[in-house]
Amino acid sequence: MKEQLFLILFLIVLTSACDTLCQLFLKSSINSLKFSVNSVKKVIIFILKLAVHPGAWIALTFSIAALFLWLFVLSKADLNFAFSVGSLHYIFIAFASKLILKEKVGITRWLGTISIVIGIILVAIS
Amino acid sequence: MMFKKNAILKIILLLVFSDILETFSQFCFKKSALLSGPFQIKAFSDAVTFAKTSALSPFLWVALISVFLTFIIWATVLSKVDLSVAHPIASFSYILVPLVSIVFFHEKIAALGWVGIIFILIGAIFVSLSSKEKEDIL
Repeated sequence: MKEQLFLILFLIVLTSACDTLCQLFLKSSINSLKFSVNSVKKVIIFILKLAVHPGAWIALTFSIAALFLWLFVLSKADLNFAFSVGSLHYIFIAFASKLILKEKVGITRWLGTISIVIGIILVAIS
Repeated sequence: MMFKKNAILKIILLLVFSDILETFSQFCFKKSALLSGPFQIKAFSDAVTFAKTSALSPFLWVALISVFLTFIIWATVLSKVDLSVAHPIASFSYILVPLVSIVFFHEKIAALGWVGIIFILIGAIFVSLSSKEKEDIL
């Protein structure tokens, strides 16, 4: 029983890690395009440029991995538990954005992110 | 420029819209899976048959199209704001799903759930406010 719990926890963290990597690759590819999207026509060009960017494909691979892992977690774990632990994902993304993408995550943004995590846990357990 | 002033508001609207689309695509995926009939996936060949039956369902294609649209919106939003801003604001789906359950399925939400929804809203407002520092790039 305890081993099962550790396995589920590990898989949730792994799912989170895959999704964080997906977002990091996607965001850094978008940043490297330095493309300003301000009309529908530009959106199409932007998506086409993104489609030929290798970073976007790496992001897609991680995204598919995260999806399969998550489906597996949901088939094994209690839904509320999975969502509660999964919400820590928001903290991972905030740290990764700060450390790797060098975004400025100030006190307001941290407070907001933590408030969202608390909110999701409350919605999940209620 | 108009866009500069209402930038974060537009971002929030786009994210809420993409959350609605995502919820819709989940609904379509579920619908196509149900229409494929009750399936016991025990072997790989079962999974292949399941995938083949699902592929014929229009719901699956509608779901895939809305997944693609969701991606376009997400990528566009990421080209405008920080990941650490867009990602928390996208948590709106945690509010949408309970609200849809109340309105369409007449489900009741416990007091704790409402407190959670308020926490998520306050969090999203804080994160949105924090993005003003970067308005010059929008």
